Amino acid sequence: MKKTNKFLTILMFMFLYLPMAVLIVASFNTGKDITDFEGFTLQQYVRLFQDDTLLGLLGNSLLVSILASFIATVFGTLSAVGINNLRPRMRSLVMSLTNIPMTNPDIVTGVSLSLLFVFLGSNLLGHKESLNFWTLLIAHVTFNLPYVILNVMPKLRQMDSSLTDAAMDLGCTPVQAFFKVILPEIMPGILAGAIMAFTMSLDDFVISYFVTGTGFITLPVEIYSYTKKPIQPKVYAMFTLLFGLIFILMLTMNLLQLRADKRKTENRAKTESKQMKLIKRAVAFACVAALLIGGGCLIFSTRQESITLNVYNWGQYIADGSDESLDIIAAFEERYPHIKVNYSTYDSNEMMYSKLSNGGITVDVVIPSDYMIARMINEGMLLELNFDNIPNYSYIDENFKGTAYDPDNKYSVPYTWGTVGILYNTKHVDEADVTGWELLWNEKYAGKILMFDNSRDAFGIAQFLLGYDINTTDKEQLQLCADKLYEQKPVVQQYVMDQVFNSMENEEAWIAPYYAGDCMVMMENNPDLAFYLPENQGFNLFIDAMCIPTCCHEKEAAELFINFLCDPEISGANMDWVCYSTPISAAKEYLSEDVVNDPVAYPDEEILKNGVSFAFLPEDISRYVEGLFMEVRNK
Amino acid sequence: MKKNNSVLLSTPYILWMIVFTLIPLGVVGYYALTDPATGEFTWGNLMNLKMYLPVLWQSILYSLVSACICLLLGYPVAYYIAHTGPVAQKLLYMLVMLPMCMSFLLRTLAWVGLLQDTGIINNLLSALGLPRLQMIRTPGAVILGMVYNYLPYMILPLYSTIVKIDGRLIEAAEDLGCNSVQVFSKVILPLSVPGILSGMTMVFVPAVSTFYISQKLGGTDTVLIGDVIERQFKQGNNPNLGAALSLVLMLLVFVCTGIMNRFGGDEEVIV
Repeated sequence: MKKTNKFLTILMFMFLYLPMAVLIVASFNTGKDITDFEGFTLQQYVRLFQDDTLLGLLGNSLLVSILASFIATVFGTLSAVGINNLRPRMRSLVMSLTNIPMTNPDIVTGVSLSLLFVFLGSNLLGHKESLNFWTLLIAHVTFNLPYVILNVMPKLRQMDSSLTDAAMDLGCTPVQAFFKVILPEIMPGILAGAIMAFTMSLDDFVISYFVTGTGFITLPVEIYSYTKKPIQPKVYAMFTLLFGLIFILMLTMNLLQLRADKRKTENRAKTESKQMKLIKRAVAFACVAALLIGGGCLIFSTRQESITLNVYNWGQYIADGSDESLDIIAAFEERYPHIKVNYSTYDSNEMMYSKLSNGGITVDVVIPSDYMIARMINEGMLLELNFDNIPNYSYIDENFKGTAYDPDNKYSVPYTWGTVGILYNTKHVDEADVTGWELLWNEKYAGKILMFDNSRDAFGIAQFLLGYDINTTDKEQLQLCADKLYEQKPVVQQYVMDQVFNSMENEEAWIAPYYAGDCMVMMENNPDLAFYLPENQGFNLFIDAMCIPTCCHEKEAAELFINFLCDPEISGANMDWVCYSTPISAAKEYLSEDVVNDPVAYPDEEILKNGVSFAFLPEDISRYVEGLFMEVRNK
Repeated sequence: MKKNNSVLLSTPYILWMIVFTLIPLGVVGYYALTDPATGEFTWGNLMNLKMYLPVLWQSILYSLVSACICLLLGYPVAYYIAHTGPVAQKLLYMLVMLPMCMSFLLRTLAWVGLLQDTGIINNLLSALGLPRLQMIRTPGAVILGMVYNYLPYMILPLYSTIVKIDGRLIEAAEDLGCNSVQVFSKVILPLSVPGILSGMTMVFVPAVSTFYISQKLGGTDTVLIGDVIERQFKQGNNPNLGAALSLVLMLLVFVCTGIMNRFGGDEEVIV
């Protein structure tokens, strides 16, 4: 029996550590892909330490978890002393209150806190940016408190209460009694609680994910969005370093404790006080260090006098300096040193809209598509632009002005345009099958087809296939589209947005509808990929434009940013990497020949005539379509 | 004198917990009962929940299965750790704890790399001349992800219960003529029930509400209740329906933990 148990234990540890081994090996890989080890390198570690954003996010995580666990430990310990002296009935009531965050699933805690903050922020305080660093800290303290209380309470209850009475009889004040008698006795519980709170806080994703706005993001929340984009191998390097650090920390802690235990049995009375002193000193040191680091970081972050500009854009939608491109944001910050750009991304118009309409965040520049701009104008979510601050607007081609979504050119400045077509892998997909949108329903490729994870694009494809108007408000037609999409579900591998890059490039999937510009990027990375535009059935022709939402704080800086992106030279450098088509003819001069002559990016006028743009849908129809799509996804 | 004063220390805590745990749940209730478009009172969100019953059952089923698998896998391990020497015990305990401190997002992503059609395991299989397997995007993959992520939550409480079992009880049972199977079923197993219940709860609760694991390892039909909630908030622009679903999830979890506590008596096991 013992042997089988040993065997099972070894097997189980292999199971637990296998994925971590995969990540650690991947951190030494020269290639990008986790599944393919191309060669040994330490380059990822060098890149990690050059990456200020990634290290900054780690700093954010540490700041929140150190502060939250420190506050929770002090607050929780004092409260535990109070709770312990409550009448039994009251005490059990308070303990069940303490148990609520423990038993509640994280997602419910996160959802409830974010709703509370937004509700209070918008209804009572009239404050726009209610989701910020402080709300995140409150959330972390709230879920850390129970860990401290539940670790300290048993120690308090074990303690002989006559000890405190004796101390006070001997002349101690209550405060002295607390520090001299109670504290040393319950110290192991406090330490255990503090450590548990810290680790929970550091690794928390779900609660932070719901409670953070765009201003202050922790590492796990960022990693969640990394897993949609092609993941950068330097993240594995960070994982490996953290793993090593935690491993060594835990090992030394255990060894120290073992040694202390041994000594304790040898010479109990003497070493105990010594050990206690050591622990006390260590705790005091840790607390002071935590306060200094936390305070220092806070002062540092508030002392910056520069303006922070919150730009909220699609993923993979601005040149970031990789592959020898121009780092647009760095170039902007260099030209305007007093402005610091805080850049975050979304996957789809709907995701951006949800985040903005849920409230509680500050966004200065956002880049939605045509139909979403129309909707946001209709709902009063956008500010009118001051075109005196955007002189480069004159470079925008005339046919991108006076569009259906913004007929008076008041709210938006075009950023890119493009088509939606089908990307497929020529190695696996028979050319004869590539006839139109029905390819996405072809059972021959079941499990290898990806589909849009947003309602408007997904419904658009069904509408082209069924021959309906893509801007229909007929609920019956929309229901039929939903049925069509539901019919497609068994052959769909996954509903994706930015994840399409990974899946198509490493051939996990073979067929996907996507935006032409992104398709070109993928075709560059995997030459077996090809793009098909179903010109006969019709396809979506879209314009994405820069806007300033009403939750903006820095309108003038936002207009500077928009103006900067309309500079033909900048737009050219940007589009060279993004691969989307530019609405600024003058920018083509700065683009490489291959891109300008590529029919995927700039199709013939004849073909473009078959493209249809999404138009404004009334609010109830938008909600109806979104609801139908959620049903398709969730049924 | 001191006792009465120190009671006051608990007041800020009670206020804090009321403001940041009870009231938020009230706000969830408020959202669940208002219409997303007009903001007026409605039963509509709760009526819509009917549609999500299959998803709810699926979530419960998957997480119960993974809790049971965790128990089957975790028990021998916890038993083995509890019966090794003190130094090995500390080290093994630490090795079980360690994965819990590392990013579960990245660890789950590593499973994607292992299981996908063009992944590590399938590449190995085809290098050996064996056919490729469809592993990812199946219910099995989701359950594997849950078992992998939450196994430590099972082992730790089991270990703390088993290690406390008095060795003399086992000796007594043996002296009285029990064979090893009887010793296990009549002495050890009944005494580890609190640990089993606590472990089951600690696996079940996060598993039933997860959304990341099913999004990464599941396919289009392995939708869980957590997915639906996340999507209503982050994409679907319907926080009201999301709030209604959160209420259901919360009730479900409270009922489940209530049942487990009932069977486990009022012994509280804290890891």
